[in-house]
Amino acid sequence: MALKDTLFWWRKPPAVPFAVLFKKFKSILERNNQILEIMGDMGDKLGGGYIFDQQYLIESCEKLGDHVFKFVSDLDVLCQTKNVPLFTAFERVQHQIQEELAGRRVLSRSDHILPISELTHALADEGGNKMASIGDMRNILDYPTPDGFVVTTGAYFDVMERAGLRDRVVETVTRLCETEGEGEDDGVEEVARELQEAVLSMPLPKQLEKAIVQAARKLSEDGHQLLAVRSSAWGEDGELSFAGMHDSVLGVTPKDVIPAYRQVLASLFRERALRYRIHHGQCHEEPAMAVGIILMVDAHVSGGLYTYVQSKESDPHIVVSSAWGLGKPIVDGSIETDTFMLKRDPPFELVSQGICVKDAQMVLDPSGGTRIEDVPEALREVPSLTPAQITTLCETAMNLERFFKRPLDVEWAFAKDGGLTLLQARPLPLEPRLNVADEDASLESQEAPIIDAPVIFSGSGIPAMEGVASGPVRLLEEGGDLSDFPYGAILVTHNSSPRFAKIMPKCKGIITDVGSATGHMATVARELRVPTLVSAGNATKLLKDGQIITLDTAQLTVYDGAVEALCHYELAREDLFVFEETQEYRTLKRVLKHITPLTLLDPKDDSFSPENVKTLHDIVRYVHQKAVEKLIDLSESHQEVKESVPRKLITRVPLGLTVIDLEGGLHAEAGEEVPEEDVLCLPLTALLSGLCDTGMWETRAVHVDMGSFMSSVTRTLPPSQSDPKRMGRNLAVVSEEYLNLHLRLGYHFTVVDAYIGRSINDNTIMFRFMGGVTDFSRRSRRATLIAAILEQFDFVTEIKGDMVTGRIKKHPIPAMLDKMFMIGGLIGYTRQLDALLDSEEASQHHLEDFLHRIATAKETYHDHKYS
Amino acid sequence: MTTNTADSSAQSSATQAGQTPAATDRRRTSILLLDDEPIVCKRLKPFFQKAGYEVEAYNVPSEALAKIETRGFDVVITDLKMEGSDGLTFLSKVKALYPDTDVIVITGFATTEVARESFQKGVFDFVTKPFKLADILDCVRRIEKKQRARREG
Repeated sequence: MALKDTLFWWRKPPAVPFAVLFKKFKSILERNNQILEIMGDMGDKLGGGYIFDQQYLIESCEKLGDHVFKFVSDLDVLCQTKNVPLFTAFERVQHQIQEELAGRRVLSRSDHILPISELTHALADEGGNKMASIGDMRNILDYPTPDGFVVTTGAYFDVMERAGLRDRVVETVTRLCETEGEGEDDGVEEVARELQEAVLSMPLPKQLEKAIVQAARKLSEDGHQLLAVRSSAWGEDGELSFAGMHDSVLGVTPKDVIPAYRQVLASLFRERALRYRIHHGQCHEEPAMAVGIILMVDAHVSGGLYTYVQSKESDPHIVVSSAWGLGKPIVDGSIETDTFMLKRDPPFELVSQGICVKDAQMVLDPSGGTRIEDVPEALREVPSLTPAQITTLCETAMNLERFFKRPLDVEWAFAKDGGLTLLQARPLPLEPRLNVADEDASLESQEAPIIDAPVIFSGSGIPAMEGVASGPVRLLEEGGDLSDFPYGAILVTHNSSPRFAKIMPKCKGIITDVGSATGHMATVARELRVPTLVSAGNATKLLKDGQIITLDTAQLTVYDGAVEALCHYELAREDLFVFEETQEYRTLKRVLKHITPLTLLDPKDDSFSPENVKTLHDIVRYVHQKAVEKLIDLSESHQEVKESVPRKLITRVPLGLTVIDLEGGLHAEAGEEVPEEDVLCLPLTALLSGLCDTGMWETRAVHVDMGSFMSSVTRTLPPSQSDPKRMGRNLAVVSEEYLNLHLRLGYHFTVVDAYIGRSINDNTIMFRFMGGVTDFSRRSRRATLIAAILEQFDFVTEIKGDMVTGRIKKHPIPAMLDKMFMIGGLIGYTRQLDALLDSEEASQHHLEDFLHRIATAKETYHDHKYS
Repeated sequence: MTTNTADSSAQSSATQAGQTPAATDRRRTSILLLDDEPIVCKRLKPFFQKAGYEVEAYNVPSEALAKIETRGFDVVITDLKMEGSDGLTFLSKVKALYPDTDVIVITGFATTEVARESFQKGVFDFVTKPFKLADILDCVRRIEKKQRARREG
């Protein structure tokens, strides 16, 4: 305690009554809970089935910021000092959140160069859509793509800004948009020429130039391999394709990389690109160009494919075109290609093929650039793809389509060594199909699909990932073998489990009877965009193995059979709208990055300071810790409570608990160190008994094997959970009938607020449990397990994120004390839960184990108490 | 893979409700959506279409008004607070033209004042943003039930 504070209390007697300070403390705790609830609420919105808008994000962040600000201020009142560094930290985090909310495309990475290995759609602003899609294919879906890096839009803005061109571009585009269609000579041609000239002649910062050349050298192994320099502008390969509008330069050596970079930048202002931009009303957004610099693939055969080609008479097909050598002339349409048309479902039956005579091919010129040469005689008239290669392409194409949730136009190549490399994937716009199944209906609306397939079930479940999937059911029993999971099936199983992550690349959809939309499996499903319905009740009973179904998770509906109209509708929506790529969804994900992660962990560590705060959660954690410490300090020095100084409770298990007695909670003669026997506080006595008498504290990490037989395996507890010094100061404020307990054990945080007395109507227990830094799956499993246990004891429970709250009211004293006894046991039991909850099966086992043990212990407790 | 149609339809009729209206009712329920937040229409329109409804969506109140003057809808779902227009005015217009149309109001915040006023104007129900897709579908299904009862009774 600071001397200044001591003096403050000493100089101004009588001090603020302790009861008042305690009230302040309690209001801090209440706010703590409110903040965590808002954070949990926002996290839930990432899961399925909610509609929220920008306004929701703004309001939630505002509310959150407001609460956190008051929270910090409350601490100041309690401490009677202004914590400037903490306010500064708060302002810093708030500013970041505001920037994200303002939608000013705040680049989350300021790097001017990003390796492809770090790119995904989350960095689409930095790398442009084209390169971000390559990043998704490589880093999320695990397909080979060429190695390389991207010179970001951040670099573009920097370069343009320095050259004084950035504002000029914005003004020019705005002007052209406003005067669109006014007269023959609209000046676009001239403007385009001027802007291109300016870009081609502007100085590039030396540092950037050096960094690009260096990265290019490294990538090309000092010029041993050639590079492709490709455009990846904002908007390109997104809702609009901008196909062929911008330049790509092929076969570039490292010494030519800068002129190529410049050329691609300048192509942003080609006349045709500007006209396209204006014509499609892309006027509100500043043009920006990221540039991908990637290795050229020395292709043996390459080509393109459309995942979804509609024919008049039949179902849609996959169409592949291919030819020998590099893909550029194929995409340009300057050489003839072989064409294969295939079914969209495995085994991707060949519907038709056309093999042409292939005389010429484009190849890499080792000295730089490309050249056209003759195709060897023997290859000219044979198919350029083998059936195995075609199957590989189809399987890949369907996986990509499912992930991007759109029909796609994919560029690919098989290298000389035979491996498939994906070069690009962009949306393929489709016409929504008119549905003629019902003439009356088609007159009313030409867009809605007519679904007359029988509904197997509808109305139950939570969509963890929205989407439509059609395929055969694969019914999996608990703990069933995953190794032979068929490609393209829909997984139907009882529990959600993170172990399904490994088959997700193969499966089209997932349905579980139980599970949560915020669990680990759901997180992975969202990452890979596998349509997933959890908590669907009795899907495993209603669906049969091998049965063909169509799942629409947003509708919470499963149809019998393959509902082609629905699948088509899903792919052919006019606006190519993918929820995960909307501004709202991305903004939510981005603001949450500044809100929910907890990085301040150990109060004993020097890094536990406002300077190291990174998120709002960190601030909340910090304030809470300081408030508890302050209350203990205050009560040590506060005149009013001087007589009943905070005392250390000596318990059989190491809790590190300080007790402040408001009235009658401890034996009158209790000294500075209080043994358990001197605790008179009813709720605390029962809780301690549950914690110490049940043996729950000593529970070791045990392993549950397949047959659910237990084999005791001694596993040492992580040091964070066993070292009492790491626990910080734990606090109980008590009276004879009241207990307010704050307990941090390892990374777990427990709050108990209980009043148990003669007036039944006032009797209440609130129990709250939060976890810390363990991985997401265990955290959510733990929350579910704790809630299940509490419900067994008639608590009303609520789970928000990984926070569980249970409340119970108005039971007579003996019943309430039994609950406290159980809570004591639960606190002991949860100490080592994280290490144990490595599977859903383990959760079920531990629920039963706990209930059994607490029941046995309770009998002993009662015998003891009433004997 | 062959599926036994007779068998599977027997199975589906044995399970709980949730038949799409298209499957049970030849005449499809029509919905007009109005919200100036594009995301709301973008998400609700395909959602209701797939559930078998006929849907028209608008981001601009004046366009929705123009539409309303040419034809009626069974259900109107509208935001209450929009830039440049008062959702309540739109609501009154709809009710004046088509007393049988049921209106669901989406609102970012619901004060008792607004609630009272719109219930006086005959609003069927409120949905407060953010909301669950399942909740609004449930709301529409209740309207359908009510309207069906009115037609039959």
